[in-house]
Amino acid sequence: MSLVERLAALAASGDRGVLLTIVEGNGVGSNLLVLEGGETHGEGPDGAAALADEVIRRGRNRLLVLEDGAKVFAEVYGPPPRLFVYGAVDTAEALCRGAKLLGWRSIVADARGKFATRERIPSADELIVAWPEEAYAQVEPDHQTAIVVLTHDDKFDEPALIGALATEAFYVGALGSRRNQERRRERLLEAGVAEADIDGIMGPCGLDIGADTQEETALSILGEILAVRARREGGFLKQAKQRIHVEIE
Amino acid sequence: MKEILPEIEAWKKDGERVVVATVVATRRSAPRPIGTSLAISESGKMCGSVSGGCVESDVFENAQEVFRTGEPKLLSYGISDDLAWSVCLPCGGEIDVFVEPVE
Repeated sequence: MSLVERLAALAASGDRGVLLTIVEGNGVGSNLLVLEGGETHGEGPDGAAALADEVIRRGRNRLLVLEDGAKVFAEVYGPPPRLFVYGAVDTAEALCRGAKLLGWRSIVADARGKFATRERIPSADELIVAWPEEAYAQVEPDHQTAIVVLTHDDKFDEPALIGALATEAFYVGALGSRRNQERRRERLLEAGVAEADIDGIMGPCGLDIGADTQEETALSILGEILAVRARREGGFLKQAKQRIHVEIE
Repeated sequence: MKEILPEIEAWKKDGERVVVATVVATRRSAPRPIGTSLAISESGKMCGSVSGGCVESDVFENAQEVFRTGEPKLLSYGISDDLAWSVCLPCGGEIDVFVEPVE
């Protein structure tokens, strides 16, 4: 199988991998394809293969500089990130519309069959009527999944958050006022969730952009998700000290 | 080159050789994110881009050399480069473009 055929097959499969190409240094032009899980094809920079997993998890193309000074371009392959929303409320529909704009796949779950309907959430790529635990078992959130919990109801929010923290999701956010967050914190602690895990929850979720409507709230939350993914603060670019585009650190 | 794999595959099925140019580094601002690529077939077909259209013709010329030699090339474009005046990247940034034959 040629490299191009292999890459096309990888892109079609929905599996993840990274193509490492030496662009400067010894062996320039050689390619190594590393699949998630460690399978490799081709010959290439050994030193970079060890970094493949981390590159795949970050989900972004990067130029790696190896210890010997060789430069290796890493192109990431894999399906787009997923947005999982628990709670089929109005904001869920707005979030799914926003996810579509980003090219992400959106999944909405709710135990209440009356809420999780096509009529209410037409933009979701997938709708699931299930309690959180069952929904997570079905969806299997991974390191390229963001989870937003929107139910406003403790009996759903709590298992949804506890379940979310047990996954590899790169983002866990929850709607709710500051007072509710405090109350939720107490309840999660009582339920045996570690304090550090609770600190990792983005709640109230969203960037401080004065969001009012569902659409504005969705943009604020998606903005925060993107910032967390890129490890940025999410402020004004005008005041940012960092480079505008995410690339090499 | 993820985005243009279908075209590359189709050209190769037609028996053409293909060279791919990929943006592998950007400094300051740049018109396209890293990983964006331009494929060039031996018969001169093009697909994709590496900038807003300002360096593509120079990349095309370099691709002809890569077709001849089979050796990849790393090109730099930007204001620190003599080429800057002729290729003028619109946002004043610099980009490195890796041009390689693809198997």
